[in-house]
Amino acid sequence: MLKKRLVFALLWKNGKFCLSRNFKLQQAGDLMWIEKNYNFKVIAFSIDELVVLNVSRGDKEMTTFAAQVTELTRGCFVPLAAGGGIRSIDDAMLLLRSGADKLVVNTSLSRDPSLVSALAQRFGRQCVVASIDYRNVNGRREVFVENGAVATGMTVEEAVANAERLGAGEIYLTSMDRDGTGQGYDSEMLDAVAPTARVPVIASGGVGKFEHLAGWLSRPYASAAATANIFNFLGEGLREARTHIEDQGIPLAKWEFQWKG
Amino acid sequence: MIAIVDYGLGNVRSVMGALEFLGVSAKVTTSPDDLFAATKLILPGVGSFRAAIENIDRRNLREPIVSCVRGQNKPILGICLGMQLLAEVGEEDGPSAGLGLIPGEVKHFPEFAPPIRVPHIGFNSVSFVCSQPLFEGLGDRADFYFVHSYRMVCTDAADVSSWCEYGDRFTASVQRGHVYGTQFHPEKSQTSGLRLLKNFVELEVPC
Repeated sequence: MLKKRLVFALLWKNGKFCLSRNFKLQQAGDLMWIEKNYNFKVIAFSIDELVVLNVSRGDKEMTTFAAQVTELTRGCFVPLAAGGGIRSIDDAMLLLRSGADKLVVNTSLSRDPSLVSALAQRFGRQCVVASIDYRNVNGRREVFVENGAVATGMTVEEAVANAERLGAGEIYLTSMDRDGTGQGYDSEMLDAVAPTARVPVIASGGVGKFEHLAGWLSRPYASAAATANIFNFLGEGLREARTHIEDQGIPLAKWEFQWKG
Repeated sequence: MIAIVDYGLGNVRSVMGALEFLGVSAKVTTSPDDLFAATKLILPGVGSFRAAIENIDRRNLREPIVSCVRGQNKPILGICLGMQLLAEVGEEDGPSAGLGLIPGEVKHFPEFAPPIRVPHIGFNSVSFVCSQPLFEGLGDRADFYFVHSYRMVCTDAADVSSWCEYGDRFTASVQRGHVYGTQFHPEKSQTSGLRLLKNFVELEVPC
């Protein structure tokens, strides 16, 4: 039986990894710092998938980002999705050659939709993840691009339909209001959108504890749960989360957590 | 020295990364000389069967690969599309002739009722047919990462070394003598995959 997925997201901004709250970034450190302070090696062996997002504002420094992706693949033996800043086929090829298995597109979904179609055509739908960020604007959940700075006027439902039509293989849906708050996912939105989505939906934004992950994954239409909350899952945190999720009867892949050689 | 065959359509870097992590001496190569000098071959692959076999033929790698395996008895491990290429025929954009090292053909998944979607993507359980060196240390079943729309249908059931269930049962891995293949990606399957790769690397080379 196909298992559900626990996805970890790393946010990279001009050379440093960041913590985020409502899309306001706080610089943490480089990969060595992350490894040392958050024991990233343990995290890497506790997840089903890694997402690395280039959240640099202004100059995206794609070459430096790509080198970082390569560095991450050295200790990551699960699929890795990379993106943020993909504005051309060349950007995409750079990331794939650098070790990414999947591409993440966000702003291009509205600014350059033909690029997204071209990526899906060339690399396959399963290689293209549509990242959609949204927040509440006067009671309506609206989609924003450019790291959450620019309004598109689109509703989440419109953006999801658009992404599917363009050929995205998955939707990575992030609530900007919940991001970094630790208060749990925006279940209302997820329950409204995921059941009718034609591709898997990965929930993102708000995870603070095991229960948030299990609560979402227990829904039959939930494929994957993502968190960028490195702080709340220090050390064995994600391993324990997996056990907790499995105890709820939710199918997750199993493997030996420690490589003993 | 393990030779990872680079024919332009594979995630050679991921496979190389896994072998480096294991401390194994390996080389990504397009050169037949390197294949002949290697102790074992790994054939990775992501993409279309037709494009892959055309690339292999354009680079004149078909003969060297088959010769290494049949003539020199070098063990080979095909991964994902690489496993499919071991078959006789692939129907994707096809039909096209595979390497013919495992009798059988590669066919698209049938149409399933929702919510079962194709491509088959994600971790899924693999049941080993019997205990064998490639699966040493993994028990009788383990979870591996899959991403594919086509699967191999073997002519000889004895060549199927493990099964996976998705819609119906399909071939998750093959073994025929020293020819091995996994439909799943061991380099993307955490410690279970690393264990399998290590087992392949440590296989005793037949004389």
